[in-house]
Amino acid sequence: MKQQICALQAELIKIKYSKIIWATFIAFALAPIMGAVCIFIIQGGEALGKTGALVAKAKAMNFEANWESYFDILTQTVSVGGILVFGFVASWIFGREYSDGTAKDLLSLPTSRTQILNAKFSLFVLWCFLLVLSNLLLAFVFGALLQLPPPGSGWLLQSLGDYFFTTVLTIIIGFPIAFFALWSKGYLAPLGFVALTLVFAQVIAATGYGSYFPWSVPALYSGVGGEYKILLDNYSYGILVLTSIAGYIATVMYWNYADQTK
Amino acid sequence: MEIIKTNTLTKRFGSTVATDNISIHVNQGEIYGFLGLNGAGKTTLIRMLLGMIKPDSGTITLFGNELTLQFRQWNEIGYLVETPYSYPNLSVYENLKVIYKLRQQNNLKVIDEIIEKLKLTKYINTKANALSLGNQQRLGLAKALIHKPKLLILDEPINGLDPEGIVEVRELLTDLAKNGSTIFLSSHILGEISKVANRIAIIHEGRLIKELTTEELSSQIIKKILVQTTDNQKAIQHLQNANYSVEPIETDEIEITDSEALEKPELISKLLTENGLPPKQIFLFTEDLEMYFLRTIKGNKR
Repeated sequence: MKQQICALQAELIKIKYSKIIWATFIAFALAPIMGAVCIFIIQGGEALGKTGALVAKAKAMNFEANWESYFDILTQTVSVGGILVFGFVASWIFGREYSDGTAKDLLSLPTSRTQILNAKFSLFVLWCFLLVLSNLLLAFVFGALLQLPPPGSGWLLQSLGDYFFTTVLTIIIGFPIAFFALWSKGYLAPLGFVALTLVFAQVIAATGYGSYFPWSVPALYSGVGGEYKILLDNYSYGILVLTSIAGYIATVMYWNYADQTK
Repeated sequence: MEIIKTNTLTKRFGSTVATDNISIHVNQGEIYGFLGLNGAGKTTLIRMLLGMIKPDSGTITLFGNELTLQFRQWNEIGYLVETPYSYPNLSVYENLKVIYKLRQQNNLKVIDEIIEKLKLTKYINTKANALSLGNQQRLGLAKALIHKPKLLILDEPINGLDPEGIVEVRELLTDLAKNGSTIFLSSHILGEISKVANRIAIIHEGRLIKELTTEELSSQIIKKILVQTTDNQKAIQHLQNANYSVEPIETDEIEITDSEALEKPELISKLLTENGLPPKQIFLFTEDLEMYFLRTIKGNKR
């Protein structure tokens, strides 16, 4: 356990001063900011004559100036934007060792390769959770500033539950990215993989089979696909979890057994 | 005690044989120099010794234990493979702290000690991406030495160092070996290896073609006297009459390889002068390590 903690501490030292951290937080914060802007426009719709079209569009999306709509936006951002941003985070955490040329320094140590990978997965989970927590915090601040009407009873628990469950689904489906980073020894392949999963998630969800494509599941759960959410069943979550476990095992096996020539 | 032992180690990458039946052993306290051209198989062998690449056949024993996935003596080994890279956004101290954590060290003093030993104190807070090539190399060596390993495996450790740095590293390695550390060293700077190594191995096209001590090396290095006179034909006759083994060579010179002549070249000069052929030029040629190395691998082409 001590070795595992030391490996995590080493990972935390490595991310010190990394500009990439701030870049991900800024990119992810666009969701609560844009949501707040939409609410602000809707609230002042009549007064802001030129924004009438935006108000109409927001209304067409059933977006209203209340906590429920604001949280829906946040949750849906985690499920779609999260695939992209979390994927970027995973690509960087696992691929940087090769682009920095430091991977070879991690291979023959008393801290095993599996422990180093576990530390990287832990950092990935931690980083993603901090991203969603920061968005939540921003949403509460903006919501309070915009004086949104008090939500119905039981809403907060239900919304937070959906928000964090979507987060968990989106994070764990990011595990296979680690394998592509190690296998390709850099960022490019994992980022390409992320882009492909996003495209396929859209296309497959549109055909009605998204509930069995693991990268579509978080978005369907978050309600992006509207009525498609009801298609999700235990198999949907099972496939997602199995894909995640397979990604983790492939990553660990690859780093332990494949020849490391870079 | 044999610290490193490899037995018929073979590794292929597709149709390329990177190492072919390599069997070597390195004893405790030895500095073992490993020579070879680029692509000869040096780095593949080093990566196999570090468990990064698995051999197709053959075995590796480190500290008497076979190298498998269960090998757990990594804290007794320090290494530097190819160009040393560090985390560019971290300072020298922070880069060493990462290794300190991963090496499970318990006393932060070791970081300061190794920084001082490698003369990096001035750069302790400098980010790795702002270091000169030489100081990056020092940082790489610091990472390899921070935990005071019993075995050091170094791939081109003096790359990028200035002359002062080269001397410092040479002294550092010699000191470490004197204190019982074993050092496996590869370098393309052959003269440098001959200055520190006790034994030298030459690898070419994946095969170990020679393994010898530095004493054996100096005995195998070609030494000869090259003489030029106004009449080389007459000079050859006089020298042969005096029982020297001589032969003319293409560069209008006479080559003398007698051990007596090599010990006392002034006798050649005296003999020729007495016979009215004072040498225009007399030169004691000693083959350097580069020449020896090239001669050795030429004779072992597949």
